Amino acid sequence: MRETRFWTWHLLAIPVILVLLGLHFAVQHYAPVFYGVSVEEARSFEAMIARGKDMTQFVLYILLLVAGLYHGLYGLRGIIRELPLSAALARAVDWGVFMVGVVIFLLGAYVTWWTFSF
Amino acid sequence: MATNKPTAYNNRLGIKGWVYAGKYTFERYLYIGHRLSGLGLIAYMTLHIIETANRMRGEQAWAGLMGLFASPLFKVIEYLLFAAAVFHATNGVRLLMVELGFFLGKPEEPVYPYKSSVMKHRPLTYIIMALAALLIILGGSSLFFE
Repeated sequence: MRETRFWTWHLLAIPVILVLLGLHFAVQHYAPVFYGVSVEEARSFEAMIARGKDMTQFVLYILLLVAGLYHGLYGLRGIIRELPLSAALARAVDWGVFMVGVVIFLLGAYVTWWTFSF
Repeated sequence: MATNKPTAYNNRLGIKGWVYAGKYTFERYLYIGHRLSGLGLIAYMTLHIIETANRMRGEQAWAGLMGLFASPLFKVIEYLLFAAAVFHATNGVRLLMVELGFFLGKPEEPVYPYKSSVMKHRPLTYIIMALAALLIILGGSSLFFE
């Protein structure tokens, strides 16, 4: 049941990532195509801060961070756990991946908050 | 006689089992590609979060970093990242459809010669991979030539 729940969250993260990463690519990498501004302008310090101070952007970044990290790290955990591990090692992998996720999330969330409150 | 003690997944090939496709089909290679691109993307995401934290060092540090990313080498890396993301996303949509039971055909009596659900699904696989290739080419043309 627990594993089914983890897998369901893994699947539910897909549409979130598709939409939000698509937007992220459009804004950051394809700004000339979608917004008519150069990539350099879109990535300038002022533009980055202006985007980051927007509440919608702030929420979407956090959502992308959570969905991307969960989806990616759950996938990584699955790959590692395909190896014939002992129960103790499998648990260590679970906790290790979880802790890596927490650390990366905290860093990403802090940077996003820093920008929002700049 | 040696017994093959069952484990949670019983991956007797170990690390080789991660990348060995052997006599399996096109979909198995897509599966390996899906994993490799996924690992690349999660590694990049981690680096990307660390790298964007550079903004906290101020405008000049940020401008220096963005200048580095404007170099031809980073353009190529950015394009590879885009290609990996497009492949992973399109193939992921295909896997999601399989997971939910779409495009696999109705259940049938197993009458010889057997029709595999993989073959029923194969046209969709080709369409999705063609779409991925198109997006990757279009993305490259926008990134390099705009």
